[in-house]
Amino acid sequence: MDSSLSGQAFPVRHKNLSVDIKGHKTDIILCSYDDHFLVIATQIGSMGTILHARKEEGVSIHPTFNVSVVFGKRDEPMLVACARQLIEHMSNSGSSRPLVLALGLRDHSVVQSQ
Amino acid sequence: MATGGGGLNAAAAAIGMESIPDGLRIAEEETPSTGSSQSQINDNNSRVGGYIDCGVHITCFSEVSNNGTLHFQIIRLHKQIYAWIGCNSAKFGHLYAAAPTRPNNTVSVTSLLGGASDNTGSGIARRLALKTGLNVIVACNIPKNSPMLEADAEKKLVQKLINLGYTRPKSDGTSS
Repeated sequence: MDSSLSGQAFPVRHKNLSVDIKGHKTDIILCSYDDHFLVIATQIGSMGTILHARKEEGVSIHPTFNVSVVFGKRDEPMLVACARQLIEHMSNSGSSRPLVLALGLRDHSVVQSQ
Repeated sequence: MATGGGGLNAAAAAIGMESIPDGLRIAEEETPSTGSSQSQINDNNSRVGGYIDCGVHITCFSEVSNNGTLHFQIIRLHKQIYAWIGCNSAKFGHLYAAAPTRPNNTVSVTSLLGGASDNTGSGIARRLALKTGLNVIVACNIPKNSPMLEADAEKKLVQKLINLGYTRPKSDGTSS
């Protein structure tokens, strides 16, 4: 009935690390799915605000991006800016997968978000 | 097709991981690229099974059944559980959030990404929130109109949550 997948790695790769930002322990988790990236950065023990960022299909040289908050704070522009910056970096690095970004931060100042 | 490794490193580079001074990195781990372990628990700071006071616990496992291969990923944050259920693929699927709400701790569920009209995954999210008493975020790519597969996935997921100690003890005597 249940059998292990011998010789096969789990299909989703993930990276997990913990850093200290201004005295707050921040857990960062990166997961790579077939069609999405998931990035979680949390200082509050939960995923916090979840944003969805994707590159728009288009023929122009400079890509455009669509970033929206799907859960949580919708009045924090720095979160949206953070997702926008991240998806642009990822797009410039060659990946066109959309990003699901979860930010559970204590402080929403400019320095913190970066 | 973009390789998973290249994309993940690109994402890591994008958040400036390479530039974080070594002194700031408290702990770091990564899934191994090869390995046949069915259940893999990455322990960040504290041990699984006891009281989890800090750290993030990631559990990944796969189950092969008659209906296909189900992949499960459970991320246990301090106040929330994230679960991803993959059916034969590693697509992200639809995203749901469920949480106990007042009054009476009834559970509310909403779809965040996709899945507006079908209920695959939303029922799982709701019942997970009921069982754990925590906010849950569930991503699920089980196809529509597969109730047997959905029930099978939920059963296996709940069993793993019980094994890991994330669920509240049941009142009917089942050990947790």
